[in-house]
Amino acid sequence: MAADNLPSEFDVIILGTGLTESVIAAACSRVGLRVLHLDRRNYYAGNWASFTFNGLLSWIEEYKAQQQTPSTTSEQGWNDQIEDEEEVVFLSSVDSSISNLEVFSYASDKSEDDELLNSPVVGSLPKAAEEMNGCHKEAQDLGSSSACTQGDGDPHNLEVKNQDSCLSEESKKTDQQPIRSPEQAVEVKKKITYAMLLKEGRRFNIDLMSKLLYSRGLLVDLLIKSNVSRYAEFKNISCILTCHNGKVEQVPCSRADVFGSKQLTVVEKRMLMKFLTFCLDFEQHQEEFKDFTEIPFLEFLKCKNLTENLQHFILHSIAMVSQDSPTINGLKATQHFLRCLGRYGNTPFLFPLYGLGEIPQCFCRMCAVFGGIYCLRHSVQCLVVDKESGKCKAVIDTHGQRISCSHFVVEDSYIRDDQRMQTTYKKISRAVVITDRSILPSQSDHQISLVTVPPLEPSSPAVRMVELSSFSMTCMPGTYLVHLTCSSSGSAHEDLAPVVSRLFHVPSSCTEESIQGSEENEKPVVLWAMYFNMRDTSGFENSSYNLPSNVHVCTGPDDSLGSDYSINLAELVFHQLLPDEEFCPPAPNPEDIIYDGDQGEGAIFEGDSQKEEAVIEGEDGSQAHKQHGATCSSEPAESTDSIGHEILTEYDIQSPPLGNSP
Amino acid sequence: MEDYDYLFKIVLIGNAGVGKTCLVRRFTQGLFPPGQGATIGVDFMIKTVEIKGVKVKLQIWDTAGQERFRSITQSYYRSANALILTYDITCEDSFRCLPEWLREIEQYANNQVVTILVGNKIDLAEKREVHRQRAEEFAEAQSMLYLETSAKESDNVEKLFLDLACVLIREAKQNTLDNNESAPMPGEDPSLPPLLGSWMLS
Repeated sequence: MAADNLPSEFDVIILGTGLTESVIAAACSRVGLRVLHLDRRNYYAGNWASFTFNGLLSWIEEYKAQQQTPSTTSEQGWNDQIEDEEEVVFLSSVDSSISNLEVFSYASDKSEDDELLNSPVVGSLPKAAEEMNGCHKEAQDLGSSSACTQGDGDPHNLEVKNQDSCLSEESKKTDQQPIRSPEQAVEVKKKITYAMLLKEGRRFNIDLMSKLLYSRGLLVDLLIKSNVSRYAEFKNISCILTCHNGKVEQVPCSRADVFGSKQLTVVEKRMLMKFLTFCLDFEQHQEEFKDFTEIPFLEFLKCKNLTENLQHFILHSIAMVSQDSPTINGLKATQHFLRCLGRYGNTPFLFPLYGLGEIPQCFCRMCAVFGGIYCLRHSVQCLVVDKESGKCKAVIDTHGQRISCSHFVVEDSYIRDDQRMQTTYKKISRAVVITDRSILPSQSDHQISLVTVPPLEPSSPAVRMVELSSFSMTCMPGTYLVHLTCSSSGSAHEDLAPVVSRLFHVPSSCTEESIQGSEENEKPVVLWAMYFNMRDTSGFENSSYNLPSNVHVCTGPDDSLGSDYSINLAELVFHQLLPDEEFCPPAPNPEDIIYDGDQGEGAIFEGDSQKEEAVIEGEDGSQAHKQHGATCSSEPAESTDSIGHEILTEYDIQSPPLGNSP
Repeated sequence: MEDYDYLFKIVLIGNAGVGKTCLVRRFTQGLFPPGQGATIGVDFMIKTVEIKGVKVKLQIWDTAGQERFRSITQSYYRSANALILTYDITCEDSFRCLPEWLREIEQYANNQVVTILVGNKIDLAEKREVHRQRAEEFAEAQSMLYLETSAKESDNVEKLFLDLACVLIREAKQNTLDNNESAPMPGEDPSLPPLLGSWMLS
């Protein structure tokens, strides 16, 4: 925390810590470039970030403050650092990538106040509760459809040491606060108040962008190849659901699912298995689809005599393509889904513990380990461009310091509109909903579900929904965190509120006595909800910007479920910088490093042979998991009952096993 | 399967220049001062120690320089069993920053993490700016252990890590007793719910 000056020369300066920028940072640093990685925000990962509940409230406050104060550009103090043969290109000082933010709170703030006020360990909660009451009034005044301002966003307001230490000695001694370990939460269904959301706020890790990792997607491959995977742990998506005929149904996608399914008839089971088997190597059966390649996938499914049930499952939940997608895309998507089955369990997807926001940070850690310099709350005011070559040779940072660089990589939201050749862009509609129970009532409490919601009206978008339980370390026990995402046709609220009302019980106003916990109401009750739009500039290319050739713009998250777009972009930019270098070669395993003790420097890496035992925590982790009878172990592809495993044997042999083999 | 009973992740934090890397290198390699270049590319250091017949593998993580501009990633704190919060006894400023570090710990580390406050550089006693008693009181108020060390003279460095290992073993055993069904396995983050079934990708 000591004040320190940045060095004045780097090979590459990277502005923005989203996934693409972070991967580029790690890749550059890994092969020896001197990297300076900056972000104007006080948190990592930009629009990929995840926040505690209180952190999210701060983020909302910042958004509102920014809406009210127009930005001004100040250019004092550094003009003397610009030479005659140079010109400056300003960057944007405000982030306008988020819009239409609306917040709704339905959690009661009445009950348990007494308990909270008496709680011996909660320092400043009464203050938070008061402010929350204030918000409540505002909400009443403005009516239920207005956004309420919530509480004090300052996470430090809640200085709650040991607030949720279920097992710590202190809390055992005092033992007065409501203790909510995961096990207990199941038995004792307690009403969740707004004060509890605040108090347990740090248990939340709420992602701005919701994505899953395809277990054979580019991101998983890169995590493994680079050894960045050692910084994170992942949980399986345990089931795939879909909204069908007004009900939430499980999508059969593994062999066991198909044959165990109660919704499918025996004939349907055979049909589905036959079709999926065909999709797995559809390229070998040209005759089956060659007349359909450009015809909508749905037409192809109909022509295959698949029942309406099966068409729905395949189109919306397995291929996850729109009705009018061409057959070839539908087949490729289905094949990708099937190939991902069985690598890490019975669905094709993984989710990082503590949220998606961990992933960019993991790449940043890798960059730092190889010497990259990190500085949050620090940005660039302008680029210094050499008039003759037209290249960016330096930047002026927000402190007025000139820092030279050979390349500049920047996230799209730092670019000013007058540098864009293309000013129209897509948007993503997002909703974050905290509920009191799972959407599938019979589910065990440690699930992560993907729910596909086909368009409710022909004109409305298909929505994907991810429901996270507290076992994903993204929400407090007793609550579920639900992410809804679609590509925008209107504002996020217009796009997604109909789906939220269809699937959840939305109390009719902030003041309605919440009926959460009551058995007769089957739908999960919404405790808190947030809607916003995020700019989606995926598809923009360098030619979409009027910028020097050594300035590389990275777009934020795209609207797809996986992260292939961002990883491809990172690799593309990296190879523009360094055409001949390897992209993210494996970092040495710390356990393989032999130190030359006497000289005290120059760690020697034991060959390049990557040992099979590269996973450190996995070794004992797997033991633990077996003991607990969970379905996962660190041996991938153990699930013998999945379609993936059985049919994919051939595929497994063709491709190198996993990651690091030389 | 490697030969150890427990695996613990220990994470160092504190201002730049207080001697975090020196403490780790002194303990794991017996070196001082460490070759500066050698930490490039090194994620964490490993040392296996034996305490009363129990083999404990310590995985010790350093900040990778991200503390310099106060930009440590949250993910750095995840699943740490113990934190070593370090300041320099000859640098008042490094002591004054401790509350900021504690806030980060509260935000991002799991709530059962064992935290020890370490005042380093006691070999420079004549330059001391932070009195021992003041630091002890601060540590006590925050329910932290406290120790003063010299990475240079190797004072208390061994003790620091071995004491931590003892505490961690005790806690792990205690958790096993308290919670027989859901006992975390050695090395498993005790804060993670049982049945978690998470993957380390490899």
